[in-house]
Amino acid sequence: MPKVLIIDDSAVMRKIIQRNIQQSGLLVDEFVEARDGREGLEKVTSNNIDLILCDWNMPNMTGIDFVKAIRGSGQKSNIPIVMVTTEGGEAKIEEAKNSGANGYLTKPFTPDQLKSKLGNFLLVK
Amino acid sequence: MSIEGMMESVALDITSSTKTLFETMIMLDLQPDNAFFEDDTQIKTDVIGMVSFTGKYHGVIALFCSKRFALKVASTMLMTELTEFTNDVKDAVGEVSNMIAGNVKTKLTAQYGEMNLSIPIVIAGEGLSITAVNNHPVVADTTLSCFSKDPWLMSPFTSSGEKFNVGLLLKESSK
Repeated sequence: MPKVLIIDDSAVMRKIIQRNIQQSGLLVDEFVEARDGREGLEKVTSNNIDLILCDWNMPNMTGIDFVKAIRGSGQKSNIPIVMVTTEGGEAKIEEAKNSGANGYLTKPFTPDQLKSKLGNFLLVK
Repeated sequence: MSIEGMMESVALDITSSTKTLFETMIMLDLQPDNAFFEDDTQIKTDVIGMVSFTGKYHGVIALFCSKRFALKVASTMLMTELTEFTNDVKDAVGEVSNMIAGNVKTKLTAQYGEMNLSIPIVIAGEGLSITAVNNHPVVADTTLSCFSKDPWLMSPFTSSGEKFNVGLLLKESSK
């Protein structure tokens, strides 16, 4: 079963995302957490991650810089990444997709919206 | 449009963004009231969650609430009863401020071009007051010091019997 990395500088948001996924029936074996893009890169290197959910505005390394770093990293460059962020608007979504993000969800979101976005990458019970 | 007119338009965006947030992730009742201007020396609060933005216009969007309401919101978001003002509560206030500001910023960007948001800052205490003074920035890397003598535009709300405000400071950036 898949291992999901959640990168967000808010511990509360990481818990909310995790709880929503667990309650949605999406199949996840393990959650790994990181507080910013830099820590996210370390977690990707030391874990077999199947899906990454990534915030945009974070200290040390932003979400968009993380996406670019992963896409240029060779071996791990194909892991699907869904941006989960307060950054909305067409230009930001376009920028994320051009940088290599596979999906985009704007905060605040409902559990159904999260399930719908992640349903492309995770199986449902 | 005058800056006051623009602030009143942004206040409508704040109300709509706050309503959306409460309907999707906080799940508490929410009654908005009419926005009003308030001098910063009059603001008394326990908790402030602030996000600044820069671009053609720059400013601050801030949540002002009681500790009791912050605990209630954090408890609801985390689906657990919190009684102590822990880091999780501050974190939740930061996220609430961030989501309101993010939503407002998206609307502003559509009208006025690209803007950048700061990471949220949360200040908590008892009966805090806030004063922005020329050349003495309250928050590093923000433009708060530019707003000396300017009033906040407050959007007031009531939720679960508690009153809270979402405040706005806004200025046109120099070219």
